[in-house]
Amino acid sequence: MKLDNCDLAEGRCFANCPRTQVNLEAIHQEVFGQTYCDIEIGLFKQVKMVRASSPDLRKKGQTSGVVSALLQFALREEFIHGAVLTHRTPDHLPRGRVIRHPDEILSCAGSSYVAGPTLQALNQGPWTDTERIGVVGTPCQVLAMRKMRVSPLKKTNLMDRVTLIIGLFCTWALTYEPFMKYLKARVNGASIRKLDITPPPERLLKVITSDGHTWDVPIDEIRPFIRKTCGICLDMTSELSDLSVGTVEGIEGWNTVITRSDLGEEILSRAEAAGIIESRPLPEENFKHLKEASLLKKRRAVSTLKERGELEGGYIILSHELIGRILSEAKEAES
Amino acid sequence: MSVLSKDSPGKKTLFMGNEAIARGAIEAGVQVCAAYPGNPSSEIIGSLSQVAGELGLYVEWSVNEKVALEVATAASFAGLRGLTAMKQNGLNVASDFLFNLNLSGSKGGLVVVVCDDPAALSSTNEEDSRPYAKMCDLPLLEPSTVQEAKDMTRWAFDLSEELGLPCLIRSVTRLSHARGNAELGRLPKNRPTPRFDTSRPIIPQPVMVTHKALHDKIKTCQERFEKSPFNLYRGPERPELLLVTCGPGWMYVLEALANLGVEDRAGIVKLGTTWPLPKSFLIQHLKKANRVLFIEEVDPFLENNIKEFCAERTAELGVKTFLGKASEDLPDTGEINPDIVTRAIQKVLRVSYEPRSSQYAQEAAEAASLFAPARELGFCAGCPHRATYWSLKNALAMDGRDGIVLGDIGCYTLGVRPAGFEQVKTCHAMGSGAGLANGFGQFERFGLDQPVLTVCGDSTFYHAAIPALVNARYNRSNFLMLILDNSATAMTGFQPHPGTGRTAMGPEAPVVDIEALCKSLGTKVQVKNPFDVQDTMDAIYQLLQDQEGVKVLVLRQECALVRAKRQKALYKVRVDQERCIGQACGCNRRCTRIFKCPGLAWDPATGKARIDEAICTGCGVCADICPQSAILKETV
Repeated sequence: MKLDNCDLAEGRCFANCPRTQVNLEAIHQEVFGQTYCDIEIGLFKQVKMVRASSPDLRKKGQTSGVVSALLQFALREEFIHGAVLTHRTPDHLPRGRVIRHPDEILSCAGSSYVAGPTLQALNQGPWTDTERIGVVGTPCQVLAMRKMRVSPLKKTNLMDRVTLIIGLFCTWALTYEPFMKYLKARVNGASIRKLDITPPPERLLKVITSDGHTWDVPIDEIRPFIRKTCGICLDMTSELSDLSVGTVEGIEGWNTVITRSDLGEEILSRAEAAGIIESRPLPEENFKHLKEASLLKKRRAVSTLKERGELEGGYIILSHELIGRILSEAKEAES
Repeated sequence: MSVLSKDSPGKKTLFMGNEAIARGAIEAGVQVCAAYPGNPSSEIIGSLSQVAGELGLYVEWSVNEKVALEVATAASFAGLRGLTAMKQNGLNVASDFLFNLNLSGSKGGLVVVVCDDPAALSSTNEEDSRPYAKMCDLPLLEPSTVQEAKDMTRWAFDLSEELGLPCLIRSVTRLSHARGNAELGRLPKNRPTPRFDTSRPIIPQPVMVTHKALHDKIKTCQERFEKSPFNLYRGPERPELLLVTCGPGWMYVLEALANLGVEDRAGIVKLGTTWPLPKSFLIQHLKKANRVLFIEEVDPFLENNIKEFCAERTAELGVKTFLGKASEDLPDTGEINPDIVTRAIQKVLRVSYEPRSSQYAQEAAEAASLFAPARELGFCAGCPHRATYWSLKNALAMDGRDGIVLGDIGCYTLGVRPAGFEQVKTCHAMGSGAGLANGFGQFERFGLDQPVLTVCGDSTFYHAAIPALVNARYNRSNFLMLILDNSATAMTGFQPHPGTGRTAMGPEAPVVDIEALCKSLGTKVQVKNPFDVQDTMDAIYQLLQDQEGVKVLVLRQECALVRAKRQKALYKVRVDQERCIGQACGCNRRCTRIFKCPGLAWDPATGKARIDEAICTGCGVCADICPQSAILKETV
């Protein structure tokens, strides 16, 4: 979306955009101090099934309330002083919001599956110079923050103070306007309370309206509203976050949590020790499916880039070896 | 004490042209004055309103020019003297009534002053209002000097009463806004009491009778004009060239002849009564020369009418060479000035004289640019319209359907230019944005997939947009109307209107509530503060998604100039010099290159933005547009 005329060839918009060129290797070195080698779900320390201990949070959260529980804990324990989350207007338009009190967290619970300007709120703050900030975002939002961190432009952003990033699993996001228009017509104009996409094999968009009715919308019906740019995204599991959170196929009320950084590990273990969350090992079958799904997204993106002739010197800078592995291993997984 | 109420007959006093017109009306005993403001006419009613209480007049700012003419006419019908004043566009609005009033006739002296704006210095069009006099068969006077402006106005009331017709006076910017001396006349002592004679209805019917009567009246008028002291000839008995002029052209001609030193070669026919033509007076002087050069502003009104008249009287007058706009000796658009007139006369008389280099305008502009930076027309610092257009721009971009914004008349017309981020795509007459939106709002049936919006000021809303809104509701047109309510008729000088809670004469007035009015029509109405950029943007965006019927969003925030007189700044605004990182930001100077409030400055020394504290009005909007949050607003 172009808001204003601009004559800068490469300004900050260009440098920070998650859909302009990305050097994954350089970012991994900066963020984790490691080489990018795990092509399935990115670098990780452990993967578990987690849920909030509080039944209230479990009820009000999107799946298991784990993100809300972790954020409340991080705020109370002063891992962070404020969090940038996404809340939705009554019309489900996503928007960034700065939260400073644990009680406010639930105002941002739930998903609308629509891409939103969350990071605008991060940038606008306002923040004091000593505040530590947590952000919950989609893979592209996490990538944008990491690009800011490695930005070649003068270091002028808040990235030194963004200490905790919780990334969400994401297959794609939808374009707001046509999606909402379609959805409103689909539920006969009823007021929409909650949206939830169920994992395979069901793969339904469950639309829960204020009158308590649940409408099942097959995913294929909303595919036309998928943002074009999602087609070149390689990241399903927010590989550059401290903690990644997504659903668990076939097990209701639990989230998959991938721990990636030392900080993520510390928060998760302390929250569990404090009884804020509870965890279980992720069944091997689920872990396998997770990796396959993640690889498939990568393969689709790489294939799309290849078709467009943008693989060499285009969107991603990645070694031929890794690209080859993505294409071949994903193929195996698919078969 | 105002010069308008000074009771010192014979005293020479300095007047603005429009004040002289007002003084002439007072000397004539005017009791009722009404107008809708419009440059260059606004000072007539503006100055009358200041002495209304003292002199016992009724003066009002009316909702539009037609109503103003009707209010003044009511005075005439009741036997009082009435005056209305307007700009050229205003006469178009009032003309429907005027084209019936000419037939019905008037009683008490009724004067309609129209101030034309040659070169459209503050107008959307360049219109010569004089053909209206010919179309309506009404007397037309054109003053050339400030003294004449006063004297003609005074006489116009007598003429109007004698003929039983409203009398038109045409002024132009260079007379209305010029200053000069005029000798004061007496102030009237007695004023009649209004009374309508109900036994004699005042109607245009039967038209065949009243139309004929109108033609008889205009013949009588012509007889009066033959002897009018406002028409004169100056020059030799057998000039080589006859100059026919009116209005400020008279002064330009005098200056041109003096500069060229050809006063003995050219004669001047100066007309003050320009319709109907004083034919005998003209024959007498047109005989003097075979070459005639017409000097007048905007259209060739005298030129064409006198040519037509000469054609009828060729046997008597002989064959003439006519020079003027048709012969391209004078420009057919824009203002004239002594230079233009000098060049025209010089060419005809073959005199060598260089009044001023033909490159002067360009050279002057270049010289000025050495000291004054080029400036785009823009909104004032802290103007709510800038904030509105910012939100509108973003909402339309978010919507992504290439929405059409239909504009209207007011400061916010600048929305067509970079000041308003070039959001507005049409601008015609008062209320036409809403009217056009009515049409566009019906075209979805033919496949139009762009959302339709219109912007309309508060004063414009009362003036002409309400019928369009009623039409939209009734015919189910689908558009979003943004009423940019800055609680002022700002562009013409802050005259009160039905939303301001004041009248021309000062006392408090009931406010005509825009949202209540719109709600009563059954339209969906929201009110927002444009200084809350996010909230406004959301509201516009959400309303654009509503594809059912007409929606009204009132964006209310007082005009920055009015607010500055009344209260201190809302915020103390500053740029945090640590946070602003100048060109390194990548925002490409969003504050000073795009948002461009004059209160923001780019400091080339530091390469960062700063607030110009002398200009900033503290609205705080820029704090919300800085992507780096470097502009800070602190409540004061």
